[in-house]
Amino acid sequence: MTATLTPPPATTTPPPPRRAPKDKQPFRHRLSRFDVKASPYIYIAPFFILFGLVGLFPLGYTFVVSLNKWNLLTGPAGFIGLDNYVAELNDPFFWNSLFNTVSIFLLSAIPQLVGAVLIAAVLDQNIRAKTFWRMSVLIPYVVTPVAVTLIFSSAFDEKYGLINNLLASFHLDPVMWKTETFPSHVAIATMVNWRWTGYNALILLAAMQAVPRDIYESAALDGAGAVRRFFSMTLPSIRPTMIFVIITATVGGLQIFTEPKLFNPTTATPGGPQRQYQTTVLYLWDLAFNRQNFGKASAVAWLLFLIIVLFGVLNFLVSRRIASTEARVSKRRMTKLLNDHNQQKTDRAAQGSLAVIAAAEEKRS
Amino acid sequence: MTATITRPRAEADPAAPQPKSRKPLGIDRRPGFLTYGLLIAFFIGGTYPLYWSFVAGSSPSSVLTDTWPPLLPGGLFWQNVGAVMDTVPFWMSLLNSVVVSAIITVSVVFFSTLAGYSFAKLKFRGREGLLVFVVATLAVPTQLGIIPLFMVMKQFGWTGSLGAVVVPTLVTAFGVFFMRQYLVDVIPEELIEAARVDGASMIATFWHVGIPAARPAMAILGLFTFMTAWTDYLWPLLVVPQNPTLQVALSQLQSAKYVDYSIVLAGAVLATIPLLVLFVLAGRQLVSGIMAGAVKG
Amino acid sequence: MKFSRRTKGLAAVASAAAFALLATGCSGGGSSTAAGSSTDPITLTVTTFNTMGYDDLYKQYEAAHPNITIKATNIDTGDNAKTDWQTKQAAGAGLPDVQAVEEGWLSAVMQVSDQFNDLSQYGANDIKDRWVDWKLKQATDSNGRIIGYGSDIGPEGLCYNSAAFAAAGLPTDRDAVATLFGGDNATWDDYFAVGQKYHAATGKAFYDQSGFLWNAMVNQQKEGYYKTDGSLNVDGNADLKALWGKLSTATTSGLSANQTAWDWGKGKAFTDGTFSTFVCPGWMLGVVKGQVTSAGGSAATGWDFANVFPGGAANWGGSFLTVPTQSKHPQEAADLAAFLTSADSEAAAFGVAGTFPSVTAAQTSPAVTGTNDLSTFFNNAPVGQILADRSKGVVAQYKGPDDSVIQSQVFGPSIQEIDSGKADGPTAWNNAITLLNQLVVNK
Repeated sequence: MTATLTPPPATTTPPPPRRAPKDKQPFRHRLSRFDVKASPYIYIAPFFILFGLVGLFPLGYTFVVSLNKWNLLTGPAGFIGLDNYVAELNDPFFWNSLFNTVSIFLLSAIPQLVGAVLIAAVLDQNIRAKTFWRMSVLIPYVVTPVAVTLIFSSAFDEKYGLINNLLASFHLDPVMWKTETFPSHVAIATMVNWRWTGYNALILLAAMQAVPRDIYESAALDGAGAVRRFFSMTLPSIRPTMIFVIITATVGGLQIFTEPKLFNPTTATPGGPQRQYQTTVLYLWDLAFNRQNFGKASAVAWLLFLIIVLFGVLNFLVSRRIASTEARVSKRRMTKLLNDHNQQKTDRAAQGSLAVIAAAEEKRS
Repeated sequence: MTATITRPRAEADPAAPQPKSRKPLGIDRRPGFLTYGLLIAFFIGGTYPLYWSFVAGSSPSSVLTDTWPPLLPGGLFWQNVGAVMDTVPFWMSLLNSVVVSAIITVSVVFFSTLAGYSFAKLKFRGREGLLVFVVATLAVPTQLGIIPLFMVMKQFGWTGSLGAVVVPTLVTAFGVFFMRQYLVDVIPEELIEAARVDGASMIATFWHVGIPAARPAMAILGLFTFMTAWTDYLWPLLVVPQNPTLQVALSQLQSAKYVDYSIVLAGAVLATIPLLVLFVLAGRQLVSGIMAGAVKG
Repeated sequence: MKFSRRTKGLAAVASAAAFALLATGCSGGGSSTAAGSSTDPITLTVTTFNTMGYDDLYKQYEAAHPNITIKATNIDTGDNAKTDWQTKQAAGAGLPDVQAVEEGWLSAVMQVSDQFNDLSQYGANDIKDRWVDWKLKQATDSNGRIIGYGSDIGPEGLCYNSAAFAAAGLPTDRDAVATLFGGDNATWDDYFAVGQKYHAATGKAFYDQSGFLWNAMVNQQKEGYYKTDGSLNVDGNADLKALWGKLSTATTSGLSANQTAWDWGKGKAFTDGTFSTFVCPGWMLGVVKGQVTSAGGSAATGWDFANVFPGGAANWGGSFLTVPTQSKHPQEAADLAAFLTSADSEAAAFGVAGTFPSVTAAQTSPAVTGTNDLSTFFNNAPVGQILADRSKGVVAQYKGPDDSVIQSQVFGPSIQEIDSGKADGPTAWNNAITLLNQLVVNK
């Protein structure tokens, strides 16, 4: 599926190896030819071998396990075909976990994007001590998700937690951060947002800075104020990057584990007493390592895999559409100069939208 | 995209003579209080939770339930740190995290550069197809393979050893693709050709032409790989609970000291210090790495 | 050609490095030399949970055995300890030399009892008379192998806050309190009736949350979630359902403080009068003390311990010390486990954590019946004597393989529902049955 996205690699044909006279140094020559022929494969071999071992094989083997009754401790107990899949597709907990995952994702992606644009816009001004301020928004990023969760889970305690205490001192009702669905999603999304907003702001900042200054100047000459320039020029120009940020957040968000796992460690059911914030990966972990059901957990892994691939394809299609639409729109709206610039960016966005998924690896928590 | 390093526009250098006409337009005007007010607000928002953990981690745990948290740290930080050390093998787990992250980083950077170079600059049969495959594998979330990987690690008796943490991420599709995207633009064909004409073997060409050209991207990839490895939690939790990495140890601290949260927060602060130090040293590079669009658009 | 050789060399170095890494990794667990002479320095790892009161005993043992270093890990709750054990058991690595197992998930351990050493090979037969016989029976698998040494048992009494009782005009003397609840014939109806009185007088909750009460109610049945024949005993169980009705009625009328168990607002709920009674098996006394202390309270906070329990004798929890076959030093580990479960050790642990001994000789030891840190904390209550009384009539209830799943994942959500007022009693019961079918019956 990704095939179409790959830009034709700049085909640069290395010159054919110089032909040495055949009678001279035949062995050396053969070796050199071997070197030329084999080296490219040798260089890429480590990736493919390792990927086969830790990527493809597990995927295939997960499927095998999912077709069996398989206990964590006592091992396989019979082939049962697709029963595990049927059971999971009929299991309200599975759907509950998907709902929670998507809900937490939306609650983190949207505010994160808005916040990141705001921060980037502020940083994009001609401020003093640029590097200091840029670094300062990145501080949360160096706090690992585990530490973030430890810190926030204490602040979000329902009884006597920092936040509810503050609410109470303003005579507001306490919020049930850990036992009600929506508040718990907000709490978890807050942790994600805290850690990632500054990071994304820097990416958007880079995009904003890539907009040529002269465009702003000509717009300013035409009398466009700062706000207007922001909405009619800055935002459209960084749209591909915003899409990029969203896609990255999606794949990472669909695999969120650490935050819900450690949010309320005293609850016997991982993800809240009624599984209010049990995400799909946490559900998978609970199935496999608490409820000892490797078979069903494997089925969940495969279902989640399919969903992520689906999201990836959707993301790609949507972002390509937006990107091309934008290219048209900008053609109409922007000056030729900006247009050219954007065209370049849209191409890049289309090229890379799936590669972004990789960046999401980084967002795994 | 990803690898096309976006060059941020040249910073407005106040010392440099600016064309006069720019000033009145107000584009590079020094911003006012609102901007700095917002920046300070972001700064507080970003650092207060950490500061608050330090306050709580240096106080008796009863302050955690106070309505107004104290503004200044208490004097119990070292005592709480001592309790952290008694509860979890902090130094061992720190060392484990350093070892794991370092091995993964070196390996990912090296093999990704090698493969990326091959994809970008060498011609071989099936190159396009294989590259498409690499890109496609980006969509395979390795987290979902944990069940068979766990079983395999058990079968080979690797569970409990750091090797089990390291092996699954010794090279990543992202790294390969990233390096390929970077190298495809930065190495001129002529350079490779010249090296080959001089009789350099393929690997020597890579070593003398590829690596030097790839250095900036290698640094960025290394930085992010290190962060990823450092923050990983689910996989080490499964395979090395008794020989924990720092993240696992930290979560064990939480489950061991549920009644004494100031100790847990002291641990959270303590575990953040190494990265904070790294941040102070390499934060500039991290910022420019992110801004270079290295990891994203 | 020399270059291409270098290529290969590089690959060789890389793969050698990888192998070296794995090789060193393989042996990462430490030396696998056969259990050498008893003077070789060895490290024994121990995993416990809750508050087991072993810290001083470890030091004692290390002092007596200079070649042995003990590395202890403690986990907050039995549930989390179970997950930890399961993961390591499944990984085939990482289990400690001595693993504490809670009664609630002992049956899960019994599924793979061959993964635990038969302690009869390491001296169990010499000491097996030390335990109350039902404890020993629980630790014996279907093949007659003894896989665990009993540490404590969990006879339940009632903790109450005398300051809060005084404020509500209730008696504060522990004997009077016992009488108030009905003495030896105390019933749950009595308990809830006093609760209503307390609630009417103070407007405050009577107990922290419903889960521990429900636990006690189930544990004091002859048969709990499982019948003795191993079949499930929940759906259609009129006794349990009637108890659930009583509990949910009391809870929804305001007797529950809807606290998060094992968190209790970092202990603060124990010190600010949020609730005034608490279900206390012996080992819970140590937990209460820890909670109160961490929230800045002390003996003056007013917690006391009454020799009474609604609904008759009940046992909650209690643990076993096992030696997984993963242990490289089974003999030394078994010796340590034997030491930790000796009469003296169990009595000493009791003084710290309230873990009531399963060893008969320890139950009557002066260290248990006399005063200690714990009894001082509980207003000089003779906690040991009370627990000995409370243990009379306790019988071991059969625990099925999913007992802990039913307790935490099937009834846990329903308890939270009635505590928070999200559902009434009957609805919550039905929800529990649905969960039961989903998680246990059709798993």
